[in-house]
Amino acid sequence: MNCAVKTERLTKQYAGGTKALDSLDLEVDRGEVFALLGPNGAGKTTLMRILTTQIAPTDGKAYVLGMDVEREGGRIRRRISYVPQETSVWGDITGYENLLIYSKLYGVPREIRAKRIADACSIMDLEEALNRRAKEYSGGMIRRLEMACALITEPEILFLDEPTLGLDPSMRKNMWTALERLREERDVTIFFNTHYMDEADLYSDEIGIINTGRIVVRGQPEELKDRVERERIIIRTREPEDARTRLNSLFDDVSVEGNSVVIRTENGERGLAELLGKITDADSIALEKPTLDDVFMKYAGVRMRENGENRRRKHD
Amino acid sequence: MIDFFRNGLAMMELEVRRIAHDRTELYTRAVQPILWLVIYGPIMAEVRAIDTGSIPYVAYITPGVLLQSTTFISVFYGLNMVWERESGILKKLLVTPASRSSIAVGRSMSAGIRAVFQALVIIPVALLVGVRFFPSVPNFVLAFILIFLSSAGFAALSVCLASLMKTRERFMGIGQAITMPLFFASSALYPIALMPKAIQYFAVINPMSYSVDAVRALMVSGALASLPEDIMAILLFDALTFCAASVMLRRIIE
Repeated sequence: MNCAVKTERLTKQYAGGTKALDSLDLEVDRGEVFALLGPNGAGKTTLMRILTTQIAPTDGKAYVLGMDVEREGGRIRRRISYVPQETSVWGDITGYENLLIYSKLYGVPREIRAKRIADACSIMDLEEALNRRAKEYSGGMIRRLEMACALITEPEILFLDEPTLGLDPSMRKNMWTALERLREERDVTIFFNTHYMDEADLYSDEIGIINTGRIVVRGQPEELKDRVERERIIIRTREPEDARTRLNSLFDDVSVEGNSVVIRTENGERGLAELLGKITDADSIALEKPTLDDVFMKYAGVRMRENGENRRRKHD
Repeated sequence: MIDFFRNGLAMMELEVRRIAHDRTELYTRAVQPILWLVIYGPIMAEVRAIDTGSIPYVAYITPGVLLQSTTFISVFYGLNMVWERESGILKKLLVTPASRSSIAVGRSMSAGIRAVFQALVIIPVALLVGVRFFPSVPNFVLAFILIFLSSAGFAALSVCLASLMKTRERFMGIGQAITMPLFFASSALYPIALMPKAIQYFAVINPMSYSVDAVRALMVSGALASLPEDIMAILLFDALTFCAASVMLRRIIE
């Protein structure tokens, strides 16, 4: 079996009656960076907790590296690593001590412990800060320390639950740079949860969009966006009808919407180049590309942000 | 088994490292037991209301005060678990190859280690107020092993409580409501024979009675007649609480 993760009709109902996962089917290949994208409350964290053998499913099956999460939890845990969304290092000891304690908990043999710790730190760019107490670290450094702790075992799959939650943009970028360095050096599958569409878009090979406990659609980011709508060039002008007549010969889908002429095309950049010289009286020209939110809208029927907020309100 | 041993050691090492970085808690938590030894003990000794045989009163209560302070630490250790539940540490521990039970036991043992350090802070104070300990190194070592074991047992008990409480505020109230009765209904401050009958029955099932008795025999009186019984009781208590904590840990997670 070449699947890193495979689930069959996976269902999780909590004691309160909330159905977090609803017959969820998913396959993730080895070596991929897989993003599970969805609003808060969609079931992302529940799925990850089942896959990392923390909680048992109510119904259905889940396999990690071909092993059953319910029956072979111990064997799975030897081959995966996980970073929860909440802080998971001890603040009152140093970064190095955190790595040392985790390496012992994971049973990393004494002879290779130092090397494993050094390697993990070099990937995560932590060498400078190792002898400071973790509570003195910035949010981004704590995250990288957590990643380093997760790497000591040289896992085959790295599960990251909302890895950049609460980090500022530059910290987010640093973290992803570190993860990219990891992928260059090791053959590791990365399975991460996020509600940041740009992150899923930029850093994943494959995306699964989850809503109300089901995978609504999955595919490569570009492929998903292509499925939604073509790119749009929007020209604001005082004479839209005039402009449309002139552009009709260049593009096959030109329409007037209020004060604007809207062109729908496969390649917006090329469309813009073709426009040059044809339009002289435009107030502004904008190029809009479909986003993952449009993908979410198409398959889940709502906007991701709105949906997340509605669900949260319902829970309050 | 190797798993248990390895996790226990790693958890204990973690605790020692934390203590090495910050000992403030050990000192602030020593204030209360020191008050018992420095104020309550000498005053009650002056009154001569409690017959403690040939042992001076302050020496009599020293093991009880030691164990009261270490038990407090252990019982509130469950609080740490609640906090770790809110943070990601517990989740991450669950995804290590360690078994659930070795995590519960390992955490309990780290409470035991902290308790031993706490006892080490209090003993010099006892010496300063004139307590004469029984001069035997093996006795002291065994006494500390028993302090460690009994504290680990109480910590496991607190893991069970933590699994029922789940929030810090509730836990604070319950923790307080459990430790004080354990202390008063044991032979920590007075011989069990002096208690009302109903409380005597409770004292018999109170694990703290046995640990106080054992530590008193080893460190103060040197009379070891009931020691085997005490050790058996502590081991039984540990076995029960370790098993319960292993089962209850599941509830903290869900």
